[in-house]
Amino acid sequence: MMIELLLGVCLVGAVAIFLLPDRYSARLSFGISLLPIIGSLYMYATFDGVGNALLEGSTLAFETKVNWLSIGPYELFYHVGLDGVSMPLIVLTTILTTLAILSAWTPIDERQSQFYGLMLLMEASLIGVFAALDFFVWFVFWEAVLIPMYFLIGVWGGPRRKYAAIKFFVYTNVASLVMFVGFFLLVFGLGDSIQTLGLPAIAQALSAPGAVESIAGMPPNTVKAVAFFLMFAGFAVKVPVVPVHTWLPDAHVEAPTPVSVILAGVLLKMGTYALLRFNFTFLPEIAQQYALILVAFAVVSVIYGALLALAQQDLKRIVAYSSVSSMGYVILGLVAFTLYGLGGATFQMISHGLISGLLFLGVGVIYNTTHTRMVGDMSGLADRMPVTAGAIVAGSFAYMGLPLMSGFVAEFLVFSGSFSADFAYAPLLTAIAMFGIVIVAGYYLFAMQRTLFGQFSVSTDYEITRASAHDVVPLVVLIVLIIALGSVPEIVFDMIEGAIRPMTELTATQQADTGSEMLGLGVSFLGGVLL
Amino acid sequence: MAGAFQFAPAIAALPFVSFLIALFGGRFMPKRGAFAGITATGGSLLLSAWMYFAVLSSGEPHLEIVHTFIAVTDPFTLELGILIDQLSALMLLIVSLISFLVFVFSLGYMNDEGETGLPRYYAGLSLFSFSMLAFVMASNLFMAFMFFELVGLCSYLLIGFWFRADAPPSAAKKAFLVTRFGDYFFLVGVVGVLGTFGTSAFAGDGSFPVLAEQVLAGETVGINTFGFDPQTWFTILGLLVLGGVMGKSAQFPLHTWLPDAMEGPTPVSALIHAATMVAAGVYLVARMYGFYALSPTALAIIAFVGGFTALFAATMGVVKREIKQVLAYSTISQYGYMMLALGVGGYVAGVFHLTTHAVFKALLFLGAGAVIVAMHHDEDMWKMGGLKDRLPVTYYTFLAGSLALAGIIPFSGFWSKDEVLFEALLRGMDNPIFFAAYAMALLGVFFTGFYTFRMVFLTFHGEPRTTVAEDPHQFGWNMKFPLVVLGVLATVIGFINMTPIAELTGAHIEFLHVWFEHGGEALTVEHYGALLEQWANYGEVHAGSALVVASGAVSLLFALAGAGAAHVLYNVPNPDEHTDKLGSIKTVLFNNYYQDEYQVWLAEGLTANVARGADTFDQGIIDGAVNSISGVSLSLGDRTRRIQTGDVTNYATLLTAGLVVLLVAVGVLGGWFV
Repeated sequence: MMIELLLGVCLVGAVAIFLLPDRYSARLSFGISLLPIIGSLYMYATFDGVGNALLEGSTLAFETKVNWLSIGPYELFYHVGLDGVSMPLIVLTTILTTLAILSAWTPIDERQSQFYGLMLLMEASLIGVFAALDFFVWFVFWEAVLIPMYFLIGVWGGPRRKYAAIKFFVYTNVASLVMFVGFFLLVFGLGDSIQTLGLPAIAQALSAPGAVESIAGMPPNTVKAVAFFLMFAGFAVKVPVVPVHTWLPDAHVEAPTPVSVILAGVLLKMGTYALLRFNFTFLPEIAQQYALILVAFAVVSVIYGALLALAQQDLKRIVAYSSVSSMGYVILGLVAFTLYGLGGATFQMISHGLISGLLFLGVGVIYNTTHTRMVGDMSGLADRMPVTAGAIVAGSFAYMGLPLMSGFVAEFLVFSGSFSADFAYAPLLTAIAMFGIVIVAGYYLFAMQRTLFGQFSVSTDYEITRASAHDVVPLVVLIVLIIALGSVPEIVFDMIEGAIRPMTELTATQQADTGSEMLGLGVSFLGGVLL
Repeated sequence: MAGAFQFAPAIAALPFVSFLIALFGGRFMPKRGAFAGITATGGSLLLSAWMYFAVLSSGEPHLEIVHTFIAVTDPFTLELGILIDQLSALMLLIVSLISFLVFVFSLGYMNDEGETGLPRYYAGLSLFSFSMLAFVMASNLFMAFMFFELVGLCSYLLIGFWFRADAPPSAAKKAFLVTRFGDYFFLVGVVGVLGTFGTSAFAGDGSFPVLAEQVLAGETVGINTFGFDPQTWFTILGLLVLGGVMGKSAQFPLHTWLPDAMEGPTPVSALIHAATMVAAGVYLVARMYGFYALSPTALAIIAFVGGFTALFAATMGVVKREIKQVLAYSTISQYGYMMLALGVGGYVAGVFHLTTHAVFKALLFLGAGAVIVAMHHDEDMWKMGGLKDRLPVTYYTFLAGSLALAGIIPFSGFWSKDEVLFEALLRGMDNPIFFAAYAMALLGVFFTGFYTFRMVFLTFHGEPRTTVAEDPHQFGWNMKFPLVVLGVLATVIGFINMTPIAELTGAHIEFLHVWFEHGGEALTVEHYGALLEQWANYGEVHAGSALVVASGAVSLLFALAGAGAAHVLYNVPNPDEHTDKLGSIKTVLFNNYYQDEYQVWLAEGLTANVARGADTFDQGIIDGAVNSISGVSLSLGDRTRRIQTGDVTNYATLLTAGLVVLLVAVGVLGGWFV
């Protein structure tokens, strides 16, 4: 019942905020958003799930499974429940939503009730995405996220908000369609062996040898491969993976700060979470067969994303592009498919949510005060805004993977996991991806030097004052969390490991029937991409 | 005494507490957090001394796991632990001593000079002491990397302490970026070591140096060498880690950040950029010497890079005008000697020089700091002169440090540098690479003697060249006390290992050698010697006493020649620059062999252009494709646009209504209301 309680609080809260006048909405929505935090932390503390939600031998935490309706041959369930991967993501969602709401107090000064209502609506949808275990329920939540996000960018955004909002909406919706086709190709391939769209049932049916039948003359392995890549393409947009990443910087630049926090902090994780659940749990053997192609996407995202960040002058675009780079590490870890690879990728989802949230909040505080985000427009801000500057320094170093902060743990695990992975040239490819840590240091150090240090000056005519408490508190909370996860990673990793280890055992049994005939293709593809 | 080890974590924990105190409470405290730091590092110093005696009496290294970082057993566990043995006990003593003295000195250099932002300063210094002490105690390579990076962070924060000016933030950025470039290789190395051995422990039965040796000896221990021949792979791993070493210890070509780092406050330069952080790299090589000893290629590279850096940096030191710049290049050069020693198999010699250098270089930097305060923060030596009589305490302590640096008998630097050169000569007698390294290092001794005494003469001798130098600012005990302590130490600390005297008289006075003969099985100098002999073909060469003495005499001669040349040119009432006589070489030296230029070009010219190209490609091609595809469909969707009223209330109403309808429909279909 706990999950329904979280959803209910958010939905009822959203309706209440919509109906009440603007002057109550900021404080009230903050108060309401504290309830899901308490709830999710309570769930975290009492979490008793075992194993991976989709695989055999698991016990879900906070599970509800109700027979809902049937469509054609398929029995649909309202099925929600948590395992060690989804539980931390839900806590991340509740915490970031509250912090985002606090950070909206300063910049959002019109249509407040609608803004805060939509934020709570989005929180509900996000919780639903991470908790749902039946495809139909999951897809409803998955699509429902787009609606509040569209309005939040399109109404409260910057000058080009319409363009950015439509681009975001259309791009991710087309991606959903592609993913949808891929998913149902797989489901039809399974034929009569399943009567539900329950994700656990599908995953377990797929693990039986010869489960997938030919469709339209395509041999089973091709069906699986096509389904895999359609789903991958769909989710890759959300992550985003280069080359389907261009909606992200536009969306971030136009979105108001609180929306950027949720966008980078949680929305991107929907993509990697779905990749983990669908592609890598359903079809690990396909993932291994085409590992080199997938790694190429990861490496290019890391290096190319970092180079793009290096070229930017807008602080928000720098953080946005560095997200592309960081999410590349998640892909790298997923493809590695070792305990540390998958676990590190999941840890990176949480860690990046906190760190990118911190930096977007920090940039937002600067923007609220100076009304500019361009690197060349300001210098020496540390003189007037010491706490904010300190938070940005902390966030930048967290992004660079400074030890005792969460980013280091995540990246180190991913690197360790992928260095010893099974795909060809794993050490070399990992080492290439790792060079991202030098480039990321480059652009954050340059950006900090130009904006925070040196003699104070701002080209816009605003009085530069210290940030108010409700702007600073979210920064401090995130720094504390980042350091806590970076110093005692077991508080999260222990839980993640429980859900990840069954996946690694999955491949050990399935590896036998994977061919390596695609290796040559993979290598040549990689060569092409790198050239 | 064994109970002493339970207090080992406190050595690092104390400065961490003072970091928190200074950061959050510093502004409310009388000296802005200085006393917290002094107390904490003083406590660390006492505890370190206790550890030293505990190691001495127990003879066994102390190994303990403090914090399990990632408690997964398969593939491997990540832990933070403490390893206290002969090497780390010695290094703890050095680090905590210098930290303590630097805190005391800062009272005079920072507080008395009315600096602002002091809580930040003392928090940074405390965090540095914490990180460095934890690095020294690290029981595995993973933990060493973590604190290696944190040390880099502290260096960044402290170099950029005066962030309102332009130069310090730029120097801080450069220092972090250059060392990060080295650390990239180090990180690949750490990941590789863990992937290969499943452990990164320095000591113990299952430690990676031990496993590596067992593999080479033909035992099957089940490690993954990724398809390489084991020795080749170990060399690759060793060289990867060496990347981090070269960054932090400022070895060519990653030395360029260190002279810029002099933008930080001088006590910081003394602590971080001379005595301790820069030592972290060399210390790491010593820490995993059992691994490097297995790879003759890695050792040869270490030796050659060291010898080259020793000479290369020393030549740049001879033309500098600022006192701290001379010391910066001398630091780079001296770390070259340590690398040379470790590369040629002189483990004790390398650590010995690390020890003496920490003392005399900290002394010289603090002395320079005293001079800078006296000169009202002017660092140009050409504006000084004649300070000898006006600042006698500074002069005599600085002179002791200079004699040690130049390697004049009987000051400490003589003994350690002599031993380094002797070891290099021994190895160089049958290998031209090592002989070349030896020759460069020996030539470097001449330049060292020259720039050191050029600095002494220009600063303290002759006539005052400015009015400030005629009447320098006087300072208190808090700056004199550290100078005196270090001055005495710089004079006498070499006596712990007087190899030439021992050879001549047969007296057993090589205390440092004896010290390193004890300890854990795989951590003693004998063990390293055996490894070198077996895997790197460093045969036992027994040199006669004549060679020992001759080697010492030659290096002393070179040092005296350099000092003498400086005396002739600069120890006159009104010295000239004399740099014009160098002709075109002068320009090359002033520009530091154009090392900065190509590195800045790599970072800003090349990379920035590639990034801009990528950005243009991204905006034009990739996003252009997206926009043109959507352009077609958007024009089709133009007709549906009339639904959009632009009023969010409408949207929200529609949204809610739709959701309700959907829920009701689904509920009816699903039979909820039945």
